[in-house]
Amino acid sequence: MQKNKILEMRAITKTFPGVKALDEVDLYVDEGEIHFIVGENGAGKSTLMKVLSGIYHHGTYSGDVVFDGRIQHFHGIKDSVNAGIVIINQELALFPDLSVYENIFVGHEKTISNQFMDWAMTKKLATKYLDMVGLKKVDMYDHVGMYGVGVQQLVEIAKALSQNVKLLILDEPTAALNEDDSANLLKLIVDLKKKGITSIMISHKLKEVEAIADSLTVLRDGKVICRMDKEQINEQEIIKHMVGREISDIFPKRPKFEGDEVVFETVHYNAFDTNKNRYVVSNSNIKVKKGEVVGIAGLMGAGRTELALSIFGNSRNYKKSGSTVVFGKVVNLSTPSKAIREGIAYVSEDRKRDGLILGEDIGQNITISDLKKISRSGFLNFPKQSIQAEKYVKDLNIKTPSIFQKAKNLSGGNQQKVQVAKWLFAEPRILILDEPTRGIDVGAKYEIYTIINQLVANGMSIIMISSELPEIMGMCDRVYVIAEGVQTAEFNIEDATPEKILAKATL
Amino acid sequence: MKKINPIQKYFLTMGSMLRTNIRDYGMYIALGVIFIVFSIMTGGNFLKPNNFTNLLNQTAYVSVLAVGMTLVIVTRQIDLSVGYLGAFLGAYVVVAVEVNGQSIITAVIAALIITIFVGFVKGFLVAKIKIPAFVVTLAGMFIFKGFLMLKTNNRTIPTSNSFFNKIGVGYLTENTVGTVDTLTAIVGAILIILLIVFGIYKRFKNKRLGIPLEKIELFVTKTIIMSGLIFFIAYTLSRFRGISFLLLITAVIVVIYHIFTTQTVLGRRIYAVGGNPEAAELSGISVEKILIIVFISMGILALFSGVMYASMLQNTSPNHGPFWELYAIAAAYIGGTSANGGVGKVVNAFIGSVVIMSLKNGMALAAVNSNIEPIVLGSVLLLAVIFDVYTRNVRGADMIGMHYAKREYRKEFRAAKENLLKAKHALNAAKAKEKKEVIETYKVKFDQLKKQQTERNKLANKKSLRDLKQEFKREKEANSPEIIELEYQYTSALGEYNRIKDTIRSATEDDYILTKKVTN
Repeated sequence: MQKNKILEMRAITKTFPGVKALDEVDLYVDEGEIHFIVGENGAGKSTLMKVLSGIYHHGTYSGDVVFDGRIQHFHGIKDSVNAGIVIINQELALFPDLSVYENIFVGHEKTISNQFMDWAMTKKLATKYLDMVGLKKVDMYDHVGMYGVGVQQLVEIAKALSQNVKLLILDEPTAALNEDDSANLLKLIVDLKKKGITSIMISHKLKEVEAIADSLTVLRDGKVICRMDKEQINEQEIIKHMVGREISDIFPKRPKFEGDEVVFETVHYNAFDTNKNRYVVSNSNIKVKKGEVVGIAGLMGAGRTELALSIFGNSRNYKKSGSTVVFGKVVNLSTPSKAIREGIAYVSEDRKRDGLILGEDIGQNITISDLKKISRSGFLNFPKQSIQAEKYVKDLNIKTPSIFQKAKNLSGGNQQKVQVAKWLFAEPRILILDEPTRGIDVGAKYEIYTIINQLVANGMSIIMISSELPEIMGMCDRVYVIAEGVQTAEFNIEDATPEKILAKATL
Repeated sequence: MKKINPIQKYFLTMGSMLRTNIRDYGMYIALGVIFIVFSIMTGGNFLKPNNFTNLLNQTAYVSVLAVGMTLVIVTRQIDLSVGYLGAFLGAYVVVAVEVNGQSIITAVIAALIITIFVGFVKGFLVAKIKIPAFVVTLAGMFIFKGFLMLKTNNRTIPTSNSFFNKIGVGYLTENTVGTVDTLTAIVGAILIILLIVFGIYKRFKNKRLGIPLEKIELFVTKTIIMSGLIFFIAYTLSRFRGISFLLLITAVIVVIYHIFTTQTVLGRRIYAVGGNPEAAELSGISVEKILIIVFISMGILALFSGVMYASMLQNTSPNHGPFWELYAIAAAYIGGTSANGGVGKVVNAFIGSVVIMSLKNGMALAAVNSNIEPIVLGSVLLLAVIFDVYTRNVRGADMIGMHYAKREYRKEFRAAKENLLKAKHALNAAKAKEKKEVIETYKVKFDQLKKQQTERNKLANKKSLRDLKQEFKREKEANSPEIIELEYQYTSALGEYNRIKDTIRSATEDDYILTKKVTN
């Protein structure tokens, strides 16, 4: 049966000053397919989707976008939506203070004589679309802001369905979801496929690719490396194409850990989230020794970041029970400043939102963790700040034209290094890294691993939260596995294998 | 467990509803309290027909500004210029009619064109040129003050045209039967009937469409209270001179804007833009267009306000204008408009303006030192905003469910509480004991050190003293495994106690009725 190409992107090239983001990219998707676009961050996936959705107007790129058999000239999102293409970004475009049913129709409201809201029709249709995405139980009268990311994402899809979507583009849809919600979402995409809706998924999660992809395209550095059909899809092959080299020389070597001194412990430690009404950390008993890299492995949403956040000052106001023991002292780490004073630092998972002040320069970002060090009697000493900035730029090999470069202009890898530098500036003795190499290219990853090795060699203890098993295996001395808030296993790295860890990552 | 009797149920339901909707009902309660307090303070004069009518008339010019300001704040903007803008527009109309002999219609249309143009410029500067609204409208405030002074030529100009007279001090009819103005009475009666009929109709319609109904107790109580309120207002007004034109204009504007913000596409899009401007843009809404419209709407309402104020005072003067916008902003915030955007009802802002003007009117009538007035107003505004922040995340409580749950978990709750206290005492006792031991041990050590120290090597003495002090400090703070274990017991007892507390708090009536845990 002749498959109909619903989308064909031909020789798409897009350049920014100094950088070729997309280089003669050819992509095609058959109607009714689930197509994945895979590639490291910076590979050009988002840029390509911005071309497709019309965010980059026709004329700002070369090449053709052929959708539904016609060359498209999109000038803005409205054009692509009218053609039947809907893109759902990671930052959801919902209105937290409006009801669920109203959210679905914002921008294309159901009206009586074009000016007045037809609430009856709005509510009726909203029920229909919410049903299609499996949200029957959701009270559509509630403000959408009351619901978690899992539900919100489904509301976004309901919104897309209400606009008669033919091609649905999802950018990292399961990145912020827990296991249940992720599985739910993937099942929905497959259901929608049966209804004739084509989907493009941008995702790092190769297990998902193996599960539901009909075909995929691998991008690297703005170029198409290869296209695979279902039969050819294989995780190892994909990684090889994405990375361009074997996995084995990705981790710098480090001497085997030997040590006894326990610097940090949690004892029967729990954290209860009153908003979600459940324990996000349940009976945690971890020990960290001086000079050790302790890994915290588990699936997304298992509660590892929650564990870290509750230890580092409980900014989410969980109800804690049990104890945290820092250098032999039982301490109530009630605020981040208290945690910093005890020698703990936390490098956030989401560097852009929680880790950096994007509008400030490198120097400001680095020194903000302990301004007292560069000030006297309350006045900042800017030369001192610049000296510190230069020091860390050199030590961590941060690539930037100058130390006055604003953080938002740095690449992901360099932004992460600035965040790490900020915490090193506070001279912690226990450093918690949360997904330290997420969204970073392979070269920068290696540099960060080298930095980690240097730090532990100098006596720092590191807790590394990571979802990437190769990273856990390559960098940690010991691993704890967390599943749904519960600590399920502890391995010395010699005894651990990815399969063993994964087995313990689900209850 | 036995089911609660209907009277208990009524009060618990009302309690739950109050807690859940405290943000909406809060200001009505505040208004009620203010009315009662001032009635007492003025020996009943506050609510007498003539004062009550005056109160509403004085509120009129602020109310219309508050309505417009609500939309401005909802879209995450602010407008500091509407005071002098309104005063200037009022002056423009008065001068055009009184001094230049133009007709009312010509003057008003000219003023309308001016204000629409001004609104467009403001909106353009904020939305397209991206200058913060605070700065743009602050500049506007200075500029319009200048125009006001120019227009009035720095003197007071009285109004003589019957139009201003009618609007400012005129009433709808002067038709009395006995001591009661008939029109007002009729209007009041009609409103009550409409309220009841419409309420019942809506209930039936919702039931048919399968939309969840509000609890019957609440519906009946609300209807009764609202009817009572309408009756009180209509009766009080009718015993003086009835419905003034100021009140009529205000009412019409509030109703129009209420319909606009709840039933029209444009109105709803304003809230979308305020709630998440990026998402609004992505949804195909032109944020720039919406902002310009909001500023133009504010300007038009400023025109109304200016003309109403000049009419009320029967003159225009260069002294009109200061603080108008601040009252409007305060009214909007008291009415529950959120500083973060996306939330705010115009009807509530109207109530907010009544709150403010009641305070002013009441304090004046009670002969409170006029210097205290701004202190009181500022404090009330602060309280309102604090209240707003604290009730933002209040989750509705089902007090009936809580009532049942308290009974169900009574034993466990008591046991958990006892456990908690026991653990706390044990922990504190152990800590105190250990601390005492450490202090005693180190006291001995310090004495020994002193004896060992010779006169000669003062420096070394200092050093070893310092070291011992540090060691003492560390030991004081370090905890033995026993303490750690007791700490764990305390925190888990605390956890259990909180868990039961939360279970009780989140219980709902349905939990008990549907699972038949409760019997008649």
